[in-house]
Amino acid sequence: MIPLGIVALATLAANGSRQLRYSAVALLGVSLAANVVTAGQLSVSQLAVEGCGALVACGEDPGWRLWLATIVAAAATAACFATLRTASSETVTVPLIGEDPSGVTAQVAAFWLISSGVAILVTARTPVRGSLGAILMITGVELLVRLLTVPQLGLSLLLGWVEVVIALAGGFLIVNERVVREN
Amino acid sequence: MIIAAAPLVLAVAACGAFVLRKRLRIVGPFSLVAIAVALALVLLSPLDTTATLLDLELRASGLGRLASSVILATLFLLLLDVWLDEPAYNFFPTALAVGATSLGVLVLTAPLAIFGLLVLGLLLPVGSFTFQVHRNRSVEAATRHFGFVALGGCLGIAALALAASLPHEQPANTFVLLVVVLVVAFALLLAAIPFHTHAALLAGEVPPAALALYFGVLVPTTFIAFVEILTLSGLLPAIVQVVKVQDLLHGIGLTSAIGGAFLASGAPDLRRLVVYSMISNLGAALVGIATLSGPGIIGALASVIVTGASASGQLLAAGTLERRSSPERPIARKAPLAALAFVVGGFAMIGAPPLLGFPGRFFMELIAYQFAPLTGAALVLATLLLIVGQLRAVLALFGQGVERWFIEPRPVAGIIGAVIFVALLIGGIQPDGFLRPIASFADEFLRALRPL
Repeated sequence: MIPLGIVALATLAANGSRQLRYSAVALLGVSLAANVVTAGQLSVSQLAVEGCGALVACGEDPGWRLWLATIVAAAATAACFATLRTASSETVTVPLIGEDPSGVTAQVAAFWLISSGVAILVTARTPVRGSLGAILMITGVELLVRLLTVPQLGLSLLLGWVEVVIALAGGFLIVNERVVREN
Repeated sequence: MIIAAAPLVLAVAACGAFVLRKRLRIVGPFSLVAIAVALALVLLSPLDTTATLLDLELRASGLGRLASSVILATLFLLLLDVWLDEPAYNFFPTALAVGATSLGVLVLTAPLAIFGLLVLGLLLPVGSFTFQVHRNRSVEAATRHFGFVALGGCLGIAALALAASLPHEQPANTFVLLVVVLVVAFALLLAAIPFHTHAALLAGEVPPAALALYFGVLVPTTFIAFVEILTLSGLLPAIVQVVKVQDLLHGIGLTSAIGGAFLASGAPDLRRLVVYSMISNLGAALVGIATLSGPGIIGALASVIVTGASASGQLLAAGTLERRSSPERPIARKAPLAALAFVVGGFAMIGAPPLLGFPGRFFMELIAYQFAPLTGAALVLATLLLIVGQLRAVLALFGQGVERWFIEPRPVAGIIGAVIFVALLIGGIQPDGFLRPIASFADEFLRALRPL
């Protein structure tokens, strides 16, 4: 539960931040907390891949407040969890700290990140907001994929690369936009 | 491992081209050799073999080989044009990396991996879209493209992941919801009119070669990936059971087909004409898929592959005509061979016989009539509007006449257009070799639709 809370708060912080450095720290928090949520199910190599992707992603994202996006994200998270959760209706234990065998915490975190990302991307006008939304979304997607019984090494590597390319392309666009504005 | 050799060669070559990108005399031939090697590897790879790489299963299919060959040939022509006629140093590594991801998409068998690699490929051209940032507004187009790809890509992967993890006792509506999200995700990635509002901006602002890379290589790859993911994900039976999903595909397809054709018929310039024609053809292909029938699937895939190749030729010709005629409107007098290439590329875009575009369009319109007469009539109307658009372009190019026929200096786009035309003509006269691997895939699709 605690990592889930950190994911939620860090997402809010990244969404509301006005400066690049605070946004970067918040995104690092999102990434680390998201990894902690599913850390029990990860191999060292997967953690390394995810960590590298998150570190690269963190360098590129400033942001500004858009609380409307957050409200939409909160509503969408509840709706997604009610409709699409894969955990059975039996009693599910959600420990405050430690492993999450039922995957409920990871799924809530994933739905929250994806909903936040969608809300931010849909309302984004600049590459800064676009990159922020894209990185939050791909982090949520990674959480969902980790819950599957599929070849994890190849998929983790692939999604790690997607995250890196999103971060680099977002950074490239931010730099270009500034060049255009200055001219 | 030979199955993975071609995409791996291109991926390594892309890194090499990135290092060499500012040495145009080296990076051009280097990229062309890499494409030729990859093409040889694709053709040498035995069919219906499997392999495993990083726990992911790979398969060499007939459709994969066909589409890979067309994509590599298109990339070869694009690189040749950029090297000889329109130097843009960042295009070479981008094109090779796009080739690597496209070929990877065509050999992977895990839907999640296919989607992930596709998103990677669609994000790569962002760099080539913003070339010459001081001269146009391409940053805005690239930003919108980035947003659409990130949104559609993440939604699609999430939908696939949830579909794979849901227990079977879930209500059917849950699967339907996920299929709808998947279709919407692909509509965001593809140039489907209801969502693709940045297509016009891309067409107007992005360099022609980058535009051809997107619409000629990545869009056909995305469409093939869509059909493959539907086949491999096990979601097709849910689509059959619920008519609403089929209706959604029909709706998006018809809107794109008619809307794209209307816009093409009144397109203000050559690039927009090509892009809107492409959107219209994609819509028609979506309708073909939505019929969930053999001829519909064959027609859709054949049409999309041919449209990608002919759009590339037309876009390169449009770029040459614009450069030679600038600052005035493009006219044939300035570059007669490029103008001819544009016109003959238009024949392929409208599916005129005897070119290779004809069988695909014929199948689609035939099955659309069988499915619903109104749908068939709508597709014929879209074709007629495309003909109007292409005729308007011919009049605009040749309306002032050509005083003296000559071959313009550096007629690269004209020659490329002629090569594509000859290839489509030969393919149109002997369509069996082209359609057979697509028909084989259509069988797989229909088996997945109604599993025993």
